Amino acid sequence: MSAELALMSLVSIAQGIADKRFSAREATQACVDRIARWQPRLNAFIAIEPDEALASADAADSALAKGDGGGALHGVPLAHKDMYYEQGKVVTCGSKIRRDFIATTTSTALKRIKDAGTIRLGTLQMAEFALGPTGHNSHFGAVHNPWHFDHVTGGSSSGSGAAVAARLTFAALGSDTGGSIRGPANFCGVTGLKTTVGRISRAGAMPLSQSLDTVGPLARTAEDCALLLGLMAGADALDPTAVAGPIPDYLAATRQPIAGLSIGVPTAFYVDDLDADVARVLDDTIAVLKREGARMVRVELPDQQQLSAACQLVLAVEAASFHKRWMIERPQDYGPQILMRLQNGLAVPGVSYLEAMRWRGPALSAHLAAMAGVDAVLAPVAPFPAPTLSESDVGNGPGAEAVIQRLTRFTRPSNYLGLPALAIPAGFTPRGLPVGMQLIGRSFDEATLLRIGAAFQRVTDFHDRVPEFS
Amino acid sequence: MTKPGAKEIKAIAEVAGVPVSPEEAARIADSIGPAFEGFAAVAGTLPFDLEPATFLMVQKATT
Repeated sequence: MSAELALMSLVSIAQGIADKRFSAREATQACVDRIARWQPRLNAFIAIEPDEALASADAADSALAKGDGGGALHGVPLAHKDMYYEQGKVVTCGSKIRRDFIATTTSTALKRIKDAGTIRLGTLQMAEFALGPTGHNSHFGAVHNPWHFDHVTGGSSSGSGAAVAARLTFAALGSDTGGSIRGPANFCGVTGLKTTVGRISRAGAMPLSQSLDTVGPLARTAEDCALLLGLMAGADALDPTAVAGPIPDYLAATRQPIAGLSIGVPTAFYVDDLDADVARVLDDTIAVLKREGARMVRVELPDQQQLSAACQLVLAVEAASFHKRWMIERPQDYGPQILMRLQNGLAVPGVSYLEAMRWRGPALSAHLAAMAGVDAVLAPVAPFPAPTLSESDVGNGPGAEAVIQRLTRFTRPSNYLGLPALAIPAGFTPRGLPVGMQLIGRSFDEATLLRIGAAFQRVTDFHDRVPEFS
Repeated sequence: MTKPGAKEIKAIAEVAGVPVSPEEAARIADSIGPAFEGFAAVAGTLPFDLEPATFLMVQKATT
């Protein structure tokens, strides 16, 4: 029973605990057992807190027995990317510099999830300061892909991708500034939602780029992501960029059929130079969505390469600005790759940075105009399946840098435009590596993406497949 | 937009207060250069009255 619990979705486990079909302790024990088995191979966690988690689970069960367990996630054990501040807890940000940093506040996104009744399992690995798309980390070690241990998880939410895929946590917060949720979701075979800039408060989340940073979940299903988004979305006095207004019923959206929706398939950029397996999965995904009643149409998007370039300029400058003090005072405490990426921001003149920022409005306007006839755009998350840790390690030669640049080629445009995008598992390579697709939507229209993702997952089983421990 | 070379980057970094070696400046030029090239067609073409907050206006107009 306990082992089976770990394989359930977030929505199912929460409902089961609420219905007292099983206890929070049983659900937590199931995760703790799997973590003990998988962690030595994956390195997905930075901190594991089994005793505290089980004690919290017992408290949750006692509260429920007394009729006090009204939260939507009451008694559900979760772990998150180690960049969400939690008052009194160490938040390393995957770094040496913050290895002993104790947060004095709790991030709004995390607080809203905790207020729904969740239990803390520990904290998850990440690229140092969320600045890396592979899953390498020179301080805490690389995270390994649960499907093939010698392949990358993607980054920067590397631990979130690996832990959700291996069923060590029912869901996890990630963050997406250049593809950091969608990349790990894609390579690890889980569902990941990059939200619209302004949809979820970033207060208390480690900053990387104030213009591009977004908070979002990685989970097993689109329905799970909908549940978490509904809890986290909305205005926040601590983050003036978080947009006010009604929050859609995201869970209800996942139950809607997609017949009649139009989904665009780009004619260029996202379909160029695809690995054969990725191209095949894209075709298969189109066929499934068509069978479900969606109208699949070709869509000509504005030059996505320009968007990607603008994203790089903005991210480089803003990241360098946040880190400038430590770059001066503690350069030796950064991993060499991270310091090099931060130094890139020094090369961008202020005028160039502001041009990239000023162009954002017209670029978004042009992009949305191109999407006028469609409800979402379907595209691969990356042009190839997960590379090996070795071939994407910059220390192993110049070829790795080219691999790294291509990793985020298809994700950066949505970051620059602040658009939401949902990564869903959509197939596997013959070797058993996951291949995902992303659905890119209009600003603040996460509901349509979740609706399409859930419809796809009702008739496919890629999201249900679990890597076997070997 | 012309991408900055190693010499310019070394000077910019120094002004920013984070000096880099000539080797580091050369590496930075190679690394960030493609972003400048990708943005070159846009740079220098934006209308006078355009400011960054336009992004928020466009974003909110879609909701």
